[in-house]
Amino acid sequence: MNLIRLALRNIAGNSFRSFVVLLCALLISGMALTTGMIVSGADNSLRLAMDRLGADIIVVPEGAADRIESALLLGHPTQSWMPASVVDRVAAAMDVQAVSPQLYLATLSNASCCTVSDMFLIVFDPRTDFAVTPWLEKTIGGELRLGEVIGGTDVFVPAGEEKIKLYGYLVALKAKIEPTGTGLDRSLFLTLETAREMARVSRTKAEKPLEIPQDSVSAVMVKVRPGCNPRAVALNISVHIKGVTPILSPDMFQSQRKELAGLRNGVVMALMLILVFSVLLIGLIFSMAANERRRELGVLRALGATRSFVFRVLLSEAGLLALYGGVAGTALTILAVMLFRKLIIPTLGIPFLVPALPMLVALILGGLACSLLTVMLAAMLPAYRISHKDPSIAMREQGHDCPGKCHQSLPGGQEESCRRSAASQSGDCAWRVPGNYRLFRLGEDHAAEPGCRAYPPHSRPRVI
Amino acid sequence: MKAIGIIFVLLALVIGVMPQFMNCSAQGRAIELPGGRTIPMKCHWTAMAAPAVAVPLLIVGGLMFFSRRRETLLALSLLGAVLGIFAVLLPTYLIGVCASDEMLCNIEMKPTMIFSGVVTLGAGLVGLALAGKSRPGLFTDAAGSD
Repeated sequence: MNLIRLALRNIAGNSFRSFVVLLCALLISGMALTTGMIVSGADNSLRLAMDRLGADIIVVPEGAADRIESALLLGHPTQSWMPASVVDRVAAAMDVQAVSPQLYLATLSNASCCTVSDMFLIVFDPRTDFAVTPWLEKTIGGELRLGEVIGGTDVFVPAGEEKIKLYGYLVALKAKIEPTGTGLDRSLFLTLETAREMARVSRTKAEKPLEIPQDSVSAVMVKVRPGCNPRAVALNISVHIKGVTPILSPDMFQSQRKELAGLRNGVVMALMLILVFSVLLIGLIFSMAANERRRELGVLRALGATRSFVFRVLLSEAGLLALYGGVAGTALTILAVMLFRKLIIPTLGIPFLVPALPMLVALILGGLACSLLTVMLAAMLPAYRISHKDPSIAMREQGHDCPGKCHQSLPGGQEESCRRSAASQSGDCAWRVPGNYRLFRLGEDHAAEPGCRAYPPHSRPRVI
Repeated sequence: MKAIGIIFVLLALVIGVMPQFMNCSAQGRAIELPGGRTIPMKCHWTAMAAPAVAVPLLIVGGLMFFSRRRETLLALSLLGAVLGIFAVLLPTYLIGVCASDEMLCNIEMKPTMIFSGVVTLGAGLVGLALAGKSRPGLFTDAAGSD
């Protein structure tokens, strides 16, 4: 019987103990993978969202930065306005290469004139836009026409219909942008011309007309000249243009980043606690198991198994349980995260995009390694202790070292020590002689054994 | 095998009870007809059908907890796995849920039923493997625990 088969039999031999260790390994790998997936998924999502916006600086009305960031990140619609003259003033600022205005609108709540409630609408000007238009040229080979829109990856045309209704105005979904895991996935992008037409139609067909304030914009996207410092440009804008807040692209979503950092710290702390408790629990379980199995392992040793073999058998058991638990935990975590990701985003208040495959594989391997290391570490000490027990001692139940001491005089004047193997109550004593083990019990006359001198404190061993 | 029986019972409770609170009708949402009459949405019928999977699964779990015969355990594991498949099929193909991705049934009920169904299926397959490996007759292990 090889090592793995023996370990597998031992695992099956005590299903409850194996189940508890497996559950710990499952929890560890699941928790580690969840932490990794959420943190890397949120990071990935934030990076993609910034790439999608495509601007070095976003200038927004003073005091509206958090609301606009939240709208872009989580898709919670917001409306904030500043004078359209800001666009020209920003364009005139030093080292600004290009500017483009955007208008932020929203569909009505639970209104029959809108297919989707509270959908965030991003209106851009195709004449000046440098974020959406280049992407459109690449994907649909041209610009959006009147009545055409593009949507995030989660936007779809309802079954049985051909167009999406916005304020009673029907628009055609021309294309979808790649998933970002943010509110952009649930937003619609439309041109200024389409937005104005929608506002005109809404006066007669919508439950409530769409109001677009004249000569107002919601945000100005800014591209800085190559080689120039965007931070200096942002500072220049905030000093010279009153009533606006410039947000640097790397500084975008700062509040969400702080939340993410807090979440990461919290989850890592929880993970560490789980790891520590799991090591203790698994260590305890393996210690108990090792004590229970002294006789079995002693027989194994008496049959010729080396200490290293017994040690490896025990570690193989731990490793197999960790592997099974780790694989189960990994599979369940991936399934749960994929299925419940739409619940995770609003609950945690962070964007989330499933990490790319190489990253996912790395995280899975990390989770498995975490569970393997924890279980092996916990099993190491009990496995070492039991594998180094004297077989004759190990074969006795509930043993500990003999408080007394006896010696056997061997030919040539050598002496070998004798240790109590069994419970002090039973008073068993194992006496090792070359090539064999002889068992004695305290309380009997030991003098009958030739060549033996015993020095137990209370009584003497006997041959049994 | 007792552990698998317990897992079946817990999953049966999840499959049977959770959809009753996670469907759109439970949140007071329904389709309003032009005449003013309201009819429940698809997710309501999925929630109504969920106990049809959950109750047999509960019984299977209970029987698994007390059974020791290999053949019985094999049959119960197989039945549990099949019920797991039906728990997945109910909100996906057999009845379905509401069309909008943003509705509660899509965000909570459907994932819960799919997750529970997949875990039930996995537990059933593990049960099949364990029962299949044991010697014919009584299912016992070295510790005699189950």
